[in-house]
Amino acid sequence: MNNHEPLVQMVNISKSFGTVQALKNVDFDVGRQEVMGLVGDNGAGKSTLIKILTGVFPPDTGEIYFEGKKVEIRSPKEARDLGIETVYQDLALIPLMSISRNFFLGREPVIRVGPFRFMDKRKMDVTVRQVLSEIGINVRSPEEPVAILSGGERQSVAIGRALHFGAKLLILDEPTSALSVRETHKVLDFILEAKDRGLSIIFITHNIYHVYSVADRFTILEHGRKVATLNKAEVSAEDIIEIIRLGYKEGKCRQ
Amino acid sequence: MGVRRTAGRVKNPPRFLHVAVWLRRHPEFGAFVGLLIVFAGFSLTATRFLTRDSLASILTVAAELGIVSAGITFLMISGEFDLSVGSVLGVAAMIFALTAKAGWPLFLGWILALLVSAGIGFLNGFITVRTRIPSFITTLGTMMFWRGILLAVTGGFPVSYFPTATPTMFLILNGRFAGQFRASALWFLGIILILNVILVHTRYGNAVYATGGNRDAARVLGVATDRVKIINFVISALLAGLAGCIQFARFLSVDPMRGLGLELEAIAAAVIGGTLLTGGAGNLIGTLFGVLLVGMVRSGLVQAGAPAYWYQAFVGVIVVVAVVVNTNLRRWALK
Repeated sequence: MNNHEPLVQMVNISKSFGTVQALKNVDFDVGRQEVMGLVGDNGAGKSTLIKILTGVFPPDTGEIYFEGKKVEIRSPKEARDLGIETVYQDLALIPLMSISRNFFLGREPVIRVGPFRFMDKRKMDVTVRQVLSEIGINVRSPEEPVAILSGGERQSVAIGRALHFGAKLLILDEPTSALSVRETHKVLDFILEAKDRGLSIIFITHNIYHVYSVADRFTILEHGRKVATLNKAEVSAEDIIEIIRLGYKEGKCRQ
Repeated sequence: MGVRRTAGRVKNPPRFLHVAVWLRRHPEFGAFVGLLIVFAGFSLTATRFLTRDSLASILTVAAELGIVSAGITFLMISGEFDLSVGSVLGVAAMIFALTAKAGWPLFLGWILALLVSAGIGFLNGFITVRTRIPSFITTLGTMMFWRGILLAVTGGFPVSYFPTATPTMFLILNGRFAGQFRASALWFLGIILILNVILVHTRYGNAVYATGGNRDAARVLGVATDRVKIINFVISALLAGLAGCIQFARFLSVDPMRGLGLELEAIAAAVIGGTLLTGGAGNLIGTLFGVLLVGMVRSGLVQAGAPAYWYQAFVGVIVVVAVVVNTNLRRWALK
């Protein structure tokens, strides 16, 4: 952890969709055991940047370094294999499936019986039961469908899953939108707990107050360009809102 | 400790909770109850309904439909649809008939029929996945296309093949045993069993549920959703082709309209069994009950002395009632 190089470094990233330039020469980095708030208005390029980092699509130009090594991330699975776990707002879990099946989706443990491989359901249920009790979610059985969980519980399960599978970088896309005040606090606590366990976190959101309470640094995007990367000590939540609202020069009223 | 889902309402009303928990895991429950009701109804009204021969005739009808419906169920759970199964059944039966007539070994003709069916399924899947159009449209098109080919090639005439002695291949596909029972019932039950084990107990089954439950979520979680869909289109068409061959082994003749309308019956049986039209939920046990229900209605109405025409009307009512019941059970269980 005393390594000074950042965990992730994205250098000079550009991406166009047809005639729309979604990202232009963006530099972005996340340190080890750091919570990075990625903020900006709709269409600023936040999700494009994250989708490049998670292998959903490639950048037109630019390079990505992970743990100091140059990497090419060609699919979500490759990102996962590197230790980059993403919890998307609406795509974190599949409501109709059981908690157990969701938790292990794509990584199910198996038992071999001759030429056949069956899911090790017992192991899945035991693990999930344990994780749920650690998170403090009270359900009858890990075989219950995700649909019975609240929004906050779903976010927690998805974050718990990332922790369980040894993520190094956790990307959270609007983890607190549509949550009650109480649930929001639970999720924010959980984010800090993940950080304590050694993870780096990218927190994407519109809600500056939520991200401000947990983030160490902030990167602000606007129209596909990076406006600024700021330490928490340099700005208040209100400053960040001003910058997003008015642009960097007018908005950064402190100087 | 757990956060309650809705303020002011506690999540566990203790008396009913375990029923709800059980229902959530068993979407086939509604179909099972329906099956019992229809069974009881016909037992009272049709005098010869409770005989072994009657059971055998129900199974014979149910098995051929059920093999098709099993494949459709699998595909529907992954979020797609196949209207072409009736035409595929006809094409496979026709290939089996024509090759037999041409003097091919029956086994080879059977394999060819299955290969062509699988190929049609692959085409359905490939077009759907590549062009991102609804499979309802893709398979509506291929349903008409293959039916048209069938009519054009045969000129509309039926093809028959009457061997002097019943060949082993036909016995394997649809021979009689234990009186009026037929091998098709064993094929059907075996296929239901295997597909259900795959669905419930393998990683692939998990991928199938995920693909139908939320394709984008499944994809970002690393599931190869396009591949899952194509494989399931192949399974659906392959089983339709198998059903065509099995049916041919029973009738020993096939006309180019064979299998017409079957796709809707197969889908009906699947949804009666609790499979969601929108994908992501359901299982093969439900389809087993759904198919038996349909088979029972068909046999039972005839035995109860009703004209055969009533069958469709009756099944129509059952589909709507079943889906209303299933939907409400699901809603209640998820409360």
